[in-house]
Amino acid sequence: MTVADSAFSDMSAKPVTGQPILQVAGVSMSFGAVTALADVSMRMAPGEITGLVGDNGAGKSTLVKLIAGVLQPSSGTILFDGKPAAFTSPAAARNAGIETVYQDLALAPNMPVWANIFTGRELTRGPRFLHVLDRKAMIERTRAFLSRYDMNVPPIEGAVEGLSGGQRQIIAIARAAAWGSRLIIMDEPTAALGVAETRAVEAVIRSLRAEGHSILIISHNLDQVFRLTDAIWVLRRGHMVGSARTQATTPNRIVAMITGAAEAVGGGSDGRA
Amino acid sequence: MAVHDAGQAGASAWLKRNGVFVALAVLVVVMAIAAPQFATAQNLTNVLQQNAIIGVIACGMTFAIIIGGFDLSVGSTAALSSVVAALVITATGSIPLGLIAAIGAGLVVGMVNGGLIAFLRINPFVATLGTMTMIRGLVFVSTNATPVFGVPFGFTALGLGKTMGVPNLVIVLAFVAALLGFLLHQTRFGHHVYLVGGNARAAAVMGIRTARLRFWSYLIVAVCAAIAGILLVGQTASGQPQAAMGYELTAIAAVIVGGATLGGGKGRMLGTIAGVFLLGVVSNALNLLGVSPFWQPVATGLILVAAVGLDRVRDDAA
Repeated sequence: MTVADSAFSDMSAKPVTGQPILQVAGVSMSFGAVTALADVSMRMAPGEITGLVGDNGAGKSTLVKLIAGVLQPSSGTILFDGKPAAFTSPAAARNAGIETVYQDLALAPNMPVWANIFTGRELTRGPRFLHVLDRKAMIERTRAFLSRYDMNVPPIEGAVEGLSGGQRQIIAIARAAAWGSRLIIMDEPTAALGVAETRAVEAVIRSLRAEGHSILIISHNLDQVFRLTDAIWVLRRGHMVGSARTQATTPNRIVAMITGAAEAVGGGSDGRA
Repeated sequence: MAVHDAGQAGASAWLKRNGVFVALAVLVVVMAIAAPQFATAQNLTNVLQQNAIIGVIACGMTFAIIIGGFDLSVGSTAALSSVVAALVITATGSIPLGLIAAIGAGLVVGMVNGGLIAFLRINPFVATLGTMTMIRGLVFVSTNATPVFGVPFGFTALGLGKTMGVPNLVIVLAFVAALLGFLLHQTRFGHHVYLVGGNARAAAVMGIRTARLRFWSYLIVAVCAAIAGILLVGQTASGQPQAAMGYELTAIAAVIVGGATLGGGKGRMLGTIAGVFLLGVVSNALNLLGVSPFWQPVATGLILVAAVGLDRVRDDAA
């Protein structure tokens, strides 16, 4: 399995206009007797940053796991780029162009930056059965790729454990963007970071949008959601209770939806977010 | 963003990476000055020869440790392999058949260990402690705990002979170390071993088949132990049920002294080799200086604790 030639191609990140990149329709998810999601629908416009908010236990993580192929819905359908997306594994979702940046980042701390960017997709050279690593090519591509973003490029050949939290976050996000992914899901991308590092990570997220990636962000930080997103969807106790264009709503109204003080402000599941 | 004093961090990182080589070099120089018999071709050849078998085992052990485990059954497996080789050679009169059977025994052990650890997800300590005791017991049962004689004496060319002045054991070690070093450091397989050892969950999320990789790693360990068993036959022309007791701990110690960590994700094949010979030179030095051999395990333990301890101190200082 070689991805050498498609590696770091940004061509496939270009959105198809008009059609939602992601459409969740009437999805329910139960774990035994517990209903985590009930008849949830949402849609994401291509090339936008969409926020998914809600209190703890509202079902955000479950919904994200369904989209990323970690879980399969009990009922309902998910369309990715207009096509049914019944992914049976995260690998299947990734192959289709959905990358997830996990909250714990899923980086190997002992390994250099380039090895983390290329984890599971290593470039090899020489006779195919030997699978000899092409370190030089991976280091060069990583350097070229990371320098696209407005950031201090960390030492490519240094171990990730020597990097700051913000740099690690950027490595994890950059990895998600490196493989021509169309939809990038980020779970609390700046939860553990200070102010300056949060801004640096947000700048990278914006530049991904500028490149045409569609981004779904889960965040508890409403200020951040309002700084970054184009649209916001609100989950409450397993139900999608509302959505809004970010510019047309206020933090207070979103908080009201999150806490249940107001239901379905801004259109609910039939509204164009 | 993190700003380090590059010079200081670089020196500390260099020492951390190469501490075992520095220690080995210093020890060799000191011994060459302190004991005139040390730096003779005969003595150095002896040191190489005496540590070659443990070296072969340690080369395999490096994989188990880097992937985040270890294997306690290697000593028993070496004894099993030596007995199997001796039994088959005496029964069939065919040395190739004996070697194949010995390696086959190693493969079986590796599949059991690998299956228990990788697929049944049993803790490596428990799994290999179990197989270590079971294998040793089976070896005793099948031989009545007595050596298996009858291997042609010519077979000792492997364990005692030399080729162009180099002990054949050392040639085998060099071959095993080069092959496994290539596998570990140059191929995707070895790269994935490091990734799984560093963060198994992350590797799995990124599509690496962690269980399969673990399985193969324990297979490599067991085959190395089986090769060591064949080399043991080569030293005595017999299968030795009691052989290689405690080798597992010496091999693990050598790998750790060589720069690996029990947490996984770290270590190098050259470091392992240096670790083997650091322990070997120390025991040789004690010998030459007339220190009672009972002190040797004390020295090995001290070096192990010192190596890990210094590592920790440097980590905390960084």
